[in-house]
Amino acid sequence: MKRLAAVVALLGLATATAACSGGSTNNSSGSGGGGGLFTTIDVNRPGIDASGPANPWAPKGNSFQGYNAMKLGWVKNHLTDPNQFYPGIAASWDIAPDNSSITIHLQPNGKWSDGKPVTADDVKLSLGLAATTGSTAFATTPGAAGVASEVEVVDPKTVKVTQDMGNPSSKFARGIMDSWVVPAHVWGSLLPADFWDKLEASRGTGADADKAREDILAIGQKVLAFAPPKDVSAGPYTLERVNPGEALLVKNKNFYNASNVAPAQVKFLNYSGNEQIWNYLTAGKLDHAGFTAAPTDVMNRIKNAPGSNIIKGFSPVAVGLAFNQSKKPYDNVHVRRGLAYLIDREQVTKVASPEGGTAAVTTSGIHQKPAQEWLGSEVSTLEPYKHDVAKAEAEFKEAGLQKKNGKWTLADGSPWKVSMHVPSGFSDWISAQENIKSQLIENGVDAEVITVADYPIYLEEIAAGKYDVGFWLIALGPAPYDIFQRLYGASNGWTNVAGKVAHSAPGKGGNWMGGAEEVDVEGAGKINPGELTAKLNAATPEEAKPIMLELAKAANQNLPVIQLWDYVNTQFTNTSRFTGWPEQDSDLLRLPAGVWIQLGLIKAKQ
Amino acid sequence: MTAILETSSTTATMRRNFWSGVWRVMKRKPSRMVGAVLMLGFVFMGLFGPMFYPEQLDRDPNAITRPPSWEHWLGTDDQGRDVIALVVTGSQYVLLAALVTAVITVVLGTGIGLFSGFKRGRWDNVLMRFTDMKLTIPGLPLLLVLSTVWKFSSAVQMGLVLGLLGWGGVARAVRSQTLSLRERGFIEAARGLGLSTTHIVGKELLPSMAPYIAMNMLIAVTGGVYSQVGLFFLGVLPYESNNWGQMLNTAVFRSGALTVPSALGFLIGPLLAILLLTLAIVLVVDAMDEIFNPRLREE
Repeated sequence: MKRLAAVVALLGLATATAACSGGSTNNSSGSGGGGGLFTTIDVNRPGIDASGPANPWAPKGNSFQGYNAMKLGWVKNHLTDPNQFYPGIAASWDIAPDNSSITIHLQPNGKWSDGKPVTADDVKLSLGLAATTGSTAFATTPGAAGVASEVEVVDPKTVKVTQDMGNPSSKFARGIMDSWVVPAHVWGSLLPADFWDKLEASRGTGADADKAREDILAIGQKVLAFAPPKDVSAGPYTLERVNPGEALLVKNKNFYNASNVAPAQVKFLNYSGNEQIWNYLTAGKLDHAGFTAAPTDVMNRIKNAPGSNIIKGFSPVAVGLAFNQSKKPYDNVHVRRGLAYLIDREQVTKVASPEGGTAAVTTSGIHQKPAQEWLGSEVSTLEPYKHDVAKAEAEFKEAGLQKKNGKWTLADGSPWKVSMHVPSGFSDWISAQENIKSQLIENGVDAEVITVADYPIYLEEIAAGKYDVGFWLIALGPAPYDIFQRLYGASNGWTNVAGKVAHSAPGKGGNWMGGAEEVDVEGAGKINPGELTAKLNAATPEEAKPIMLELAKAANQNLPVIQLWDYVNTQFTNTSRFTGWPEQDSDLLRLPAGVWIQLGLIKAKQ
Repeated sequence: MTAILETSSTTATMRRNFWSGVWRVMKRKPSRMVGAVLMLGFVFMGLFGPMFYPEQLDRDPNAITRPPSWEHWLGTDDQGRDVIALVVTGSQYVLLAALVTAVITVVLGTGIGLFSGFKRGRWDNVLMRFTDMKLTIPGLPLLLVLSTVWKFSSAVQMGLVLGLLGWGGVARAVRSQTLSLRERGFIEAARGLGLSTTHIVGKELLPSMAPYIAMNMLIAVTGGVYSQVGLFFLGVLPYESNNWGQMLNTAVFRSGALTVPSALGFLIGPLLAILLLTLAIVLVVDAMDEIFNPRLREE
């Protein structure tokens, strides 16, 4: 009897679970594609906030990029050209040859989910809202991203945005296209009638400009907190309901490409850590998950799940071990070079990021894939810093360090300990530093790993010059300026405001790397890497190439960081329910799966 | 002279009787012997265990997170180090912090409880309200907040904070024991003889409660282990790769011990250590209970 009761209870549980799982799986709606439920997670946002608004600017909002949140275009992150996009709200665009303007042509049959057409006024309002949150081309204190001086509605389906050529940026068009678009009939009340005058005034100087900037920032706060009563989306989906366990989106029949959107519903599952995502993936529950770090055994298990289809591509980011050169002995280039020879990067990558990274072939400041494009055969002229203990010892000796009883000390005989800092949630970084620590100790260099509560605190403390050594994301492409500003930007003393480059002394103005303002580069003489980096902001690709080479040589010889591994973009998909996934190495892998769906790639399995 | 000889002979006899009583109690339930052996094992591991391993543990980057094998009985961690070696070398911090926690808990709890219960009146009121207030503060959230400002880099610091947060319960219990004992005849007699408060508390009250306090101390050790392991598991304390809590964290969140079987050994190592330590303490407390409480003796 007891066994029967247990079986009944289990069956009851199974029924209840099925009842709770929610969402029809074959309830086709819309006109094409085959229907079905598409299950995924938002890798950028652990923890679904059931009370979050459908607001793309809200940090905890329930607007999912590519699904119910739309941008003018979808940035391809091409290896060398930052201004390549897939269509979004915009069907096409014309960028002036000198980057002075971009004319955007909206989807002719683009509609909001409530049936109203998407117009140029919606775009203008959205660009205004973007200005209040200070993003990219709309910063009230313009940095290096260029600034939009005028937004002109040409006709109901065409907008022209002009760049302020006093401080031009080659990625101005990218800043515009990479902007959210929301409906003016829902969000319009947030911008006052004199907003554009205020924005103009804010770009000046004096009390009026300060007041205008304050007003705009105040509007920005309202924008971040705004909660539309109902999700009105121009994307392929609209938000139907959210609970702490999942967010359900249903197909928007008014989407311009609805006939090619296959899944009738999309479900975002909640998760709080990677291990939950691994369990979803090994159970074959997810149709798609973005890059999630996984150890090799877990990855093998995911590969063996029914329908599992892992797609890999380029990810424009690398990680480096960065030095605070205002602290001894890291001010000495031979110490940095010695460490570069001592650390076996292959081993670090194997232990820390076996599936999500490839060991850096050298330190160039550029991800190895675009490095080939930018530097060509010159890549081979860079010193590879292959693991070589003898060379490391020679460099340490050159730096004047002493070896006593098998341990390296500073030149004056005082102890030397490499203190590496890392934010506590970054498991691959911790693993890497633990491995580096072991490698260093085994070769007579004392070392320790110190964790910091979280990433914002880490960034704050590293900027304040509190750490000797820490991990630092570099090579943030594809724009050449973005790549090198991680090495020769604000963190190393150079600030670029409105096209004017200024250098702060180490320990001031966010300069924690503390590198020399001018460095001697073999074959190029003395160069100012910060000024060269600033030049990249407005340079054409052809103009940029020789500058990139000089900067890569500077990074390679001067080693402000030791490039450890280049990230690999690993996307998890499942072919059990849907097909049409992007190819290996496709540029689409750098965009959310919602974009793949809206472009009509994903089809229900027949 | 004769009286002195007689006294020392009586003491020696009592001591002999005590140890033979202990032996009888231990023998009656072999599990208690197991508990005592385990306890000695942990003490040995904490004191001498790390000496059996090099300062920098051997590692094999080609064998990271491997399942148990002849070479590595509980497998390897995410850096290719032997899990048992990590458990043993990590025991020093864990056990020392737990011991400091227990000592502070017991010293503070006993001191405040004894003083409060014996003095009664205004002091009792003040100290017990303070104790009540302390008991209402939730320990874990407070520790989480403290961990953002304090790095707990040494085991003593860790134990100190845990001890300062954990004495409330002991103080309450000791006070109630004191209130009960102070009404007993032998305390009345001591008072009648005009003995000092220090004598009454130190020589009359405290010895009567010593077994109870000792048991509380052992239980506080487990509390200390759970708290610090919990904090390391949550990842709020600075990284110490061989701390048992950090090992659990790494096994679950980085090596996927709940997803793939290869990392199970890595998870089981620290879990087993915590489980065995708890078991040892429970069994020893059980034996102590019977040793010091004649009414529980079955003979």
